[in-house]
Amino acid sequence: MRASLPRVSVIGLTALAVFLPLGLIFYQSMLNAPFFMPNKTIGAGAFEFIFADSDFWDSFKNSLVIAGGMVLIAVPLGGILAFLMVRTDLPGRRWIEPLLLIPVFVSPMVLAFGYVVSAGPVGFYSVWAKQILGGVPWNVYSLTSIAIIAGLTHVPHVYLYSSSALKSLGSDVEEAARMTGSSPFQVARDVSLPMVTPSLLYSGVLVFFLGFEIFGLPLVLGDPEGHLVLATYLYKLTNKLGTPSYHLMAAVAVCIVAVTFPLVMLQRHLLKNAGKYVTVKGKAGRQRPLPLGQWRWVAAAIVALWLFLTIIVPLSGIALRAFVSQWGEGIKLSEVLTLDHFRTVFEQPTLVRGIVNTVLIGVVGGALAVACYTAVGLTTHRRNDGWARFVDYLVLVPRAVPGLLAGLAFLWVFLFFPPLAPLRGTIFSVWLAYTVVWLAYGMRLVSSSLLQVGPELEEAARSVGATRGQVNRHVTLPLIRFGLLASWLLVFMIFEREYSTGVYLLGPGTEVIGSLLVSLWSTGGADMVAALSLINVVLVAAGLTIALRFGVNLHD
Amino acid sequence: MTKLAVQDLHLSYGDNAILKGVSMALQQGEVVSLLGPSGSGKTTLLRAVAGLEVPLRGVIQIEDKPVFDGSKNFEVAAEKRNLGLVFQSYALWPHKTVFDNVAYGLKLRSVPSGEIKQRVDNALQNLGLGHLGDRLPHQLSGGQQQRVAIARALVYNPPVILMDEPLSNLDAKLREEARAWLRELILKMQLSALVVTHDQNEAMAMSDRILLLNNGVIEQQGTPEEMYGRPQTLFAADFMGSNNKIEGTVSEVRNGATLLAGPGWSLWGESRGGAKASGSKATAMIRLERVRVAEGPGENRVKLPLVTSMYLGDKWEYLFHLGEMRLRAYGRESLSTGEQWLEIPKNDLWVF
Repeated sequence: MRASLPRVSVIGLTALAVFLPLGLIFYQSMLNAPFFMPNKTIGAGAFEFIFADSDFWDSFKNSLVIAGGMVLIAVPLGGILAFLMVRTDLPGRRWIEPLLLIPVFVSPMVLAFGYVVSAGPVGFYSVWAKQILGGVPWNVYSLTSIAIIAGLTHVPHVYLYSSSALKSLGSDVEEAARMTGSSPFQVARDVSLPMVTPSLLYSGVLVFFLGFEIFGLPLVLGDPEGHLVLATYLYKLTNKLGTPSYHLMAAVAVCIVAVTFPLVMLQRHLLKNAGKYVTVKGKAGRQRPLPLGQWRWVAAAIVALWLFLTIIVPLSGIALRAFVSQWGEGIKLSEVLTLDHFRTVFEQPTLVRGIVNTVLIGVVGGALAVACYTAVGLTTHRRNDGWARFVDYLVLVPRAVPGLLAGLAFLWVFLFFPPLAPLRGTIFSVWLAYTVVWLAYGMRLVSSSLLQVGPELEEAARSVGATRGQVNRHVTLPLIRFGLLASWLLVFMIFEREYSTGVYLLGPGTEVIGSLLVSLWSTGGADMVAALSLINVVLVAAGLTIALRFGVNLHD
Repeated sequence: MTKLAVQDLHLSYGDNAILKGVSMALQQGEVVSLLGPSGSGKTTLLRAVAGLEVPLRGVIQIEDKPVFDGSKNFEVAAEKRNLGLVFQSYALWPHKTVFDNVAYGLKLRSVPSGEIKQRVDNALQNLGLGHLGDRLPHQLSGGQQQRVAIARALVYNPPVILMDEPLSNLDAKLREEARAWLRELILKMQLSALVVTHDQNEAMAMSDRILLLNNGVIEQQGTPEEMYGRPQTLFAADFMGSNNKIEGTVSEVRNGATLLAGPGWSLWGESRGGAKASGSKATAMIRLERVRVAEGPGENRVKLPLVTSMYLGDKWEYLFHLGEMRLRAYGRESLSTGEQWLEIPKNDLWVF
């Protein structure tokens, strides 16, 4: 039983880091005033206030519309894309694969800003369209556009799940269908897609869930026409009553969690079924891609259009905007090219600190986070007792709390417990919030590495007399070291991308690019936003390049 | 009528040549087995016939109509070849019931639903699955799944049925029963079948003709009796049956017979695979069941030390030492260790 002391302390600390902030949100939501006010009382006043606010219901409705729209767009497109990429002779599959990951790893804040400068009323593409067509046939600020853009940028999430299901599907069932006389299209319709339905269903719920918590896209694109979603409604509440209206924010947060938590539980349930038809065969037959025939170029054109709309339009916009002093009708590109934005960025200590912090939190913080995830992972590795089941559910809880809320909750933790207050102004506060927010993701990375270690290797070590701790140190950890390095790289990219968690923790010393983007955007600093966005994209791209170079599996 | 003809088929995976010029034919109502060790190309040949692999060159014809012709760059897609294929893994669609699995091929052929029902029921009845139509594949035993896979491949009456190791997923006891059952079914329904197997007993029991593949070429083909009784190469002789191999030096060649000798022994055997010069090395082979324990000295007999006797239930297996080599033989009773005389009949010892 000696070995169980570290185990229990790891589990205890994790539980504390998860439940303390969440508990504080629930506690705050049941007060009639912010918790630091002397006149606070228990009551449902906060809920009464927001339920009486028509903006709340509008934003709730908008969240539903956007999340629903995303499912309708992302699931069919993602499923078709996965089939085309995994099973057919679609031209250019090799270089499309890494491109597909870009929307997953680039911050939505950056993408949203990219759409504004590319396709907004005076965006690059809009101005070009106006010159050619005489008018701009689109409006990126409408609710429909937000739903479409959110849907298109979430296609990769569906793609990743359904393609990994398709890859693990034995090719023999499809060959059997071809032998009985199915055309490629009939094979997809009657065999492949029905067999990956559990994965499609799972990713549908995932996309709906992500749609419910998106923040960056509606913040940037919904602002001009006043379309609020729950997350942006919460953000705007900060200043609604002049004083920090923490009780109202907590009430909204509880409402969001009330929707997301059941969705997370549903995902857990569906994920268990997602591998239902998966047959991992020892003998991987060499698979011949299904010939698409004359449909080959039609399919390629559809994929190219999607890549253009989702990746090229926003990223090219940012890249251009970062190097021009201004843009509009009648402006010649050659006359406005400038490096001034980058000079300004590097002249401002806050922004420089933000960039340094972002790199640090990705590299050092990422490594520390992986170490924490590994410690938690080892507490459940090869165990099936009550503690392991508790940790299983424990790590899912932060998944239900959108980053914005988690950042807010950690702010309150630092304010509520005076001994922790000195940490509030340090980058540690942001790192802690990031690590807890991405707990479920990190745990999945670590445990998929852990599961690859053959149980007999560990059993052999135990049978020659190693304790559990020694087995971990001498056998398990050395065996998964490459998996952990890969996890570090992925966590690095996720931490570079993260923007919403740092919003409420932003202060002198805790700047990161993500939260700086949100704050600069609200104060209208488009030049700085463009330059910082480009720097952010470059950081993510560096991580992605290293990952692809070393053949890191970017999805489990 | 020739149901299936393959001429000079070549196929590679990259630089790795798998088939190096294979020709074969399958007649109406005939069962041909593709036999060979793993990596010999037998499954690749079957998959090329099915249209699941693309050969480099050669011709494949089904009922005298070409489905692949390398010289004309002509290829009929797998789904248009109208063949039945039974997969090694069965490849039943787990989301469809047994009935729907079998009916799928008929649906694709736009058969009216009343007729589909009747034909599927009929097929299931024929295969002893009559009551299982509503089940899902995972609710069936391995043997039942195999029958569903066969029913699915037969129901639309393909001209040729292809089977990829149809029995290998069954456990040993069930396999022997299934083998007899499958042979009976093939005869009853007058199927023309091409069967891949790596098990020589299975190939001999099930087929009218065996094609022995080795390293991408056909080593020998013939009826099971020819393959077992008159192998033309050492590989063919060794692949079929359980054998003793004896290595020695040729000391005399006379009238189609060769005298092979080693330290302290010499044996006459039939010359196979071309004449050998005196003094050259040669390998002789004899089936285990042809070696006989004898009472005393005689023609083509050697006296060898018995190492051990192993009880196999229906017989004993003896292990002898012949210099560095081991010689095995069968017998009816347990022998005491010590020296024994062994008779190696001249006609059954093949010198290659």
